[in-house]
Amino acid sequence: MSKPLAEADHNTPFKDKHMTEHLILAPLPGTFYRRPAPDAAPYVEEGNLVAADTVIACIEVMKQFNEMTAEHGGRLLAFLLADGDAVDIGQPVARVVT
Amino acid sequence: MSIRYSFGGDEFLFAEVSESMSLTACFTSMAITGLLRQQQWPGIVEICPANASFQLRFDPDILPAAQLLQLVQELEQAVQDSPQTLDTRLVEIPVWYDDPWTLEVGARFRERHQDPQSTDLQYAARCNGFDSVDAFIAAHSGAPWFVSMVGFVAGLPFMYQMVERDRQLQVPKYLSPRTATPRQTIGHGGCFACIYSVAGAGGYQMFGITPAPIYDPQQSLPYLADSMVLFRPGDIVRFKPIDQQQYQAAVQAVAEGSFQLDIFPVRFSLPDFLANPQAYNLSLPGGHHAH
Amino acid sequence: MHIKVIKPGLATSVQDAGRNGHYHLGIPPSGALDQYSFRAANLLLGNPETTAVLECTLLGPQLQFGVDCRIAVCGADMLPLINGQPQATHQVLSIAAGDMLDFRPATAGVRAYLAVSGGIDVPEVLGSRSTYTLGTLGGYQGRCLQAGDMLMLGRSTAEAPAGRSLPPALRRPLPRQATVRVLPGLYDHRLTAQSAERFYQETWTVASESDRIGYRLKGGSPLQFRPREAPFGAGADPSNIVDAGYPVGSIQIPAGKEPIILLRDAVSGGGYAMLGTVISADLDVVGQLPPNQRLAFSAVDMAEALQARQQGQAALERLRAALQG
Repeated sequence: MSKPLAEADHNTPFKDKHMTEHLILAPLPGTFYRRPAPDAAPYVEEGNLVAADTVIACIEVMKQFNEMTAEHGGRLLAFLLADGDAVDIGQPVARVVT
Repeated sequence: MSIRYSFGGDEFLFAEVSESMSLTACFTSMAITGLLRQQQWPGIVEICPANASFQLRFDPDILPAAQLLQLVQELEQAVQDSPQTLDTRLVEIPVWYDDPWTLEVGARFRERHQDPQSTDLQYAARCNGFDSVDAFIAAHSGAPWFVSMVGFVAGLPFMYQMVERDRQLQVPKYLSPRTATPRQTIGHGGCFACIYSVAGAGGYQMFGITPAPIYDPQQSLPYLADSMVLFRPGDIVRFKPIDQQQYQAAVQAVAEGSFQLDIFPVRFSLPDFLANPQAYNLSLPGGHHAH
Repeated sequence: MHIKVIKPGLATSVQDAGRNGHYHLGIPPSGALDQYSFRAANLLLGNPETTAVLECTLLGPQLQFGVDCRIAVCGADMLPLINGQPQATHQVLSIAAGDMLDFRPATAGVRAYLAVSGGIDVPEVLGSRSTYTLGTLGGYQGRCLQAGDMLMLGRSTAEAPAGRSLPPALRRPLPRQATVRVLPGLYDHRLTAQSAERFYQETWTVASESDRIGYRLKGGSPLQFRPREAPFGAGADPSNIVDAGYPVGSIQIPAGKEPIILLRDAVSGGGYAMLGTVISADLDVVGQLPPNQRLAFSAVDMAEALQARQQGQAALERLRAALQG
């Protein structure tokens, strides 16, 4: 489940006063997936660079899969949920620094 | 044998005629629900016969639950003495057994099947002690089927074969349901045959496909002009094996709107049937052509 | 006289009071899952109570209006925006030809009802405009909305002034924790006494695949069945029965594992034992429970079910009195 942000911050090598950190929030409740199919590679690995329109995860609800984008160009520091976790609307799912 | 009643919330009355399937139980369900349909009681909203049970939806503001129960129990008594005959019809359904579409879908879901090395038909033949798929198809198409329930999804008939219990074809459902089944697939689960009226999820074994639409909200074929649903509980179905050429001709006719089904009026007598099923089936329209 | 669908939303469909009389052919009632909020939206707007509306699910659609009209959004908290400007739910809003309507995601509840003056004009099928997607029946071409669809509007008789709002006391409550009342029965005698009792003591969680057909529940203990010899035709699994009709609201327990509550797009029958039925007064509540929400069940008898039914009808009467007076 999600870690408190302050605690997670201690571990990040990317923290810098010129950087802005964004929490990516779930637009939907459902089940959180980091990969498009059970046997597929993750959309994005932690630490990778992403563009605003990069798909980083999807949320399954009512048998439909809804892709989530990074919303900000930058580096995806960490996912705050594991593959298959339950997710609520507005819950932070990832941290991106720009 | 008395019926077990249970209320499904404040709007449904559920009635289990028998725990196990039999044509006799189905007939009792149809007799009671048939009378209810004729009597048109205010406050009864839905009358749904099923294989060996039935359910009613009612408006308790118009017809209180206790009053409905009493009414149905009176009918339960009344039908015990009524003649067990039914004015119905026999519908011939052409089937291309072992067709490429259901084979392809079956192959895609093999990991959900009891026997991934066989096709559904090979598995069903073996389960029922037939030495070939052809012999199984002969048994499947050789005796007619009684539509014992319509439902699950719109227009899907459940059918119980009109043979003695020890000749019933029984095949387990898939271990877990498929997410796809072609429309108009001939399916089988437990002792029931079905025809998938729409494409979608399903757990029944797949034996073949019919070119005949049995549910069509557009009602584009003449035999669906009166109702978008072809089947009614009580219909009798005979499966007629066809080959690829006949199937394609039928599909063409469906597209042109000229496709027709052979439908014959029948007065079905349960006692006559039970007395000698094989002879009775031969007496039905088209019976002498079957095996 | 039309609305153009720019984005369809998660699952937006045309719904009304639903259709009766065809369940024996496998055609379920369909209709708005939260009948109270659907009726509230129409009454607020001055439409006849059961005028066809759009049922919007979690993520609303984006719609461009081709005509001046009035709208109202009731049910789930999905804030409407007109040309990007936040508006209120449960209020009559004016919208002009060319305006764009979209929604913030639902922050409470699941289903918001967008009523439009005059209603959504799709053909009636079997007595209703409701969409039954499994059967591609009714609604807009028998399916949920897609981008590019053009919805026609009916002739408006709505007179409600813009700005009129529904008093909070008349809005459907959307609690974070729900208790749903159930009349035990159907095949509950197949369960062990301990299992039948435990079902009502545990807290369940709404599974994410829950939809208009049914709500699947997770998180409780598997249910145990009494030993038996399988009746002919029932199937070998202890949860199997000879395929029978399913009441709308009935709770089935495939393999004893994850109970499923059937809603208004129910499959009409099948081969799994059911342990009881959600009472009619609480069926609306189920359709407003979002995925991952917790719920518990309480067992009631028929007298309590009927009392709850009367309370529901009284609430609807108060709504009519407040808005039609």
